[in-house]
Amino acid sequence: MEWRWEFTWEILPRMLWATGNTLLAAGVGYLIAVVVGLVLMLGQRTPYQIVNIVVREIVEFVRSTPLLVQLFFVFFVAPQFGIKLSAWTAGMLTIGLHFGTYLSEVYRGALEGVPKSQWEACRALNFTTLYTYRRIVLPQAFPIALPGMGNYLVGIFKDTPLLATIGVAELMHTANALGAETYRYLEPYTMVGFIFLIISLPTAMGLRRLEAAVDRAQGKRRN
Amino acid sequence: MSYIEFLSEFLPRLASGAGMTVMVMICATLLAVFISLLFGLMRLSSNFAIQGTATVYIEFFRGTSLLVQLYWIYYVLPLMGLTLTPFVSGVLALGLNFGAYGAEIVRGGIQSVPRGQYEAALALNMSPAKRMRRIIIPQTFPLILPPAANLTVELLKATALVALITVVDLMFVAKQINATTWLSAQVFGTALIVYYVMARFALIPFLRWLEVLAARMVGKA
Amino acid sequence: MKFPFKSKIISAIGAITLMSFATTASADELTDRINAGEPIRLGFATAIPWAYPGDNGEPLGFVNALTLVVLEEMGITNYTTSVNEWAGLIPGLQANRYDIITGGMYILKSRCENINFSDPIGLFGDAMLVPAGNPQGIHNYQDVIKTGATLVTGAGFNTVEAAKKEGVPDGQMMLVAGEVEILAAMKAGRADAAVQTFFGAKEHVDKSDGKFEVTDPADMPEWTQNWVGIGMRHSDTDFLAAFNEAMAKVIGGEKWMEAVAPYGYTEFQLPGDDASTEYACANR
Repeated sequence: MEWRWEFTWEILPRMLWATGNTLLAAGVGYLIAVVVGLVLMLGQRTPYQIVNIVVREIVEFVRSTPLLVQLFFVFFVAPQFGIKLSAWTAGMLTIGLHFGTYLSEVYRGALEGVPKSQWEACRALNFTTLYTYRRIVLPQAFPIALPGMGNYLVGIFKDTPLLATIGVAELMHTANALGAETYRYLEPYTMVGFIFLIISLPTAMGLRRLEAAVDRAQGKRRN
Repeated sequence: MSYIEFLSEFLPRLASGAGMTVMVMICATLLAVFISLLFGLMRLSSNFAIQGTATVYIEFFRGTSLLVQLYWIYYVLPLMGLTLTPFVSGVLALGLNFGAYGAEIVRGGIQSVPRGQYEAALALNMSPAKRMRRIIIPQTFPLILPPAANLTVELLKATALVALITVVDLMFVAKQINATTWLSAQVFGTALIVYYVMARFALIPFLRWLEVLAARMVGKA
Repeated sequence: MKFPFKSKIISAIGAITLMSFATTASADELTDRINAGEPIRLGFATAIPWAYPGDNGEPLGFVNALTLVVLEEMGITNYTTSVNEWAGLIPGLQANRYDIITGGMYILKSRCENINFSDPIGLFGDAMLVPAGNPQGIHNYQDVIKTGATLVTGAGFNTVEAAKKEGVPDGQMMLVAGEVEILAAMKAGRADAAVQTFFGAKEHVDKSDGKFEVTDPADMPEWTQNWVGIGMRHSDTDFLAAFNEAMAKVIGGEKWMEAVAPYGYTEFQLPGDDASTEYACANR
């Protein structure tokens, strides 16, 4: 089968429009994940052991089961309990929860990366816990968390095609629909691959730079 | 229908689906390990062409999404005259994709072996191949295994995607049962639990055991 | 069975014909493979009651049932199945993943350009699946446009093309993978109406405990009535001829009606004498 350029140009506008949706899905999903991750991390650091254990198990469960199955679960099961979610909402919430568990691990690692002595110093200064978090610990933890957070931004982006299976009109969904309408799969699927490459390569490169910059900054602090 | 009744009726089918999931997982892991080693070593080659090939491969497979690769192999390759069975297509996509991630782990592991080890092997007059095989690679195991273990759990989860190209795995069976019974909560809930059990109580303990074994091998336990 | 002797003669003739094909170089690949004793591979999606897999992948649904009657008439009893997403059926056939499509595909111009169809196995119409009482009064595509309702259907369904021709804007269409996802979307209130085959919609009404109803197929545009055929590769011409020949002998017969009865296919669905695949390919 030969590559048809005129067909490529013909479908390009629809593909680009769908790329916008893919980016939107990745962005919204990521924002949800950032918040959910924070909640899940804090939920493992409460004074109540039982809460910590339950949240820990939830994180483990979500982390070790496939996103695809979770999407189907939410898509099919939520309505049975009267929760009516659009495909978009269901998709965003699921992807946000899934990656939230990963981000909670990133946050946890970052917090543990802040030396214990910082906490002790704050206690000696009679700072409240909230104040300690806000002014002392988080500003130090954030640079440690940054590379991991960046990786999962790219991770979410690359998992958005799964949303096609529940009917979110992102890039993969559009390629499927174009294939079904025109019976040509070569151009749509190849274009999806290239669009992903064009977006994720520079992003990954930028993240590596950021990581190096953070490493340097931390190195300076240690001196 | 109670959940017990549901299980007694559908667990055998779900179990056979899970068997296929394990098959896909094992084959894809073997392929991924092979590709990781191959491209991880190529990445460290001083030959520009070899190193470049590996870099392009790794960036390409990490830069495009797994589902896109899977659909491409399943739907587009046949247009070029290469029709692979759904099973082979699935294993190939998973192996190629995870091999690219694994190659970076292998590269990182080898690079973190201290320089002195190379020099000592050189002093003992070992050939480069023997040096790699006997001295360098065994020392990388304890470094490589923890991130490789995470990647393997990711691979197990990713096998669910092969259901989308008609491989009759756990996810596929779950979709089929859902299509005829509409017991969505039971069927997808059970599937989630089965995946969880496979990861948490079989795969992860096995990988931890491998880590201990590797640590013992290089005398670090 | 009234004439076991006759049917034996026919299958003997069929076998001889097939054998003679095997010896000539002109037989197509599929015929050759079947003559070599390999099973014929049936490809379909999950679309109850048209075609769907049983617990062990066995072919259920009326299109599968009547295809098996025709194949038996041809002397073929050895088969395997492949269950796909609807939109993957034609590419799967072209990729040689299976030999014939028994999903219950309408014979449409755009599809005829990509695959061959057997003679029609029946004439069918589409209908709208709507919430009970049809609060928005949706009976066809024009009603959808007027009300601004969200219309759900399956990727690769004929209804996508039909909705476009009738002028339904892209923004009002929601495409999902297949029949199962259509009902899920309706149950979850993600769409106001679904458009699918009358048979598919009826099946969904039965599964919904009175939450949904199906509109009268006669309210749909007349041109969306379609003939259904069995899909085959362009290259398998000998097999197509042999299949049509065998089907002509059994269509509407006792065995045929018996096989399809459990799925709700009645004599009203028979394609009629003047139905032809050529006409459907040119006009649908």
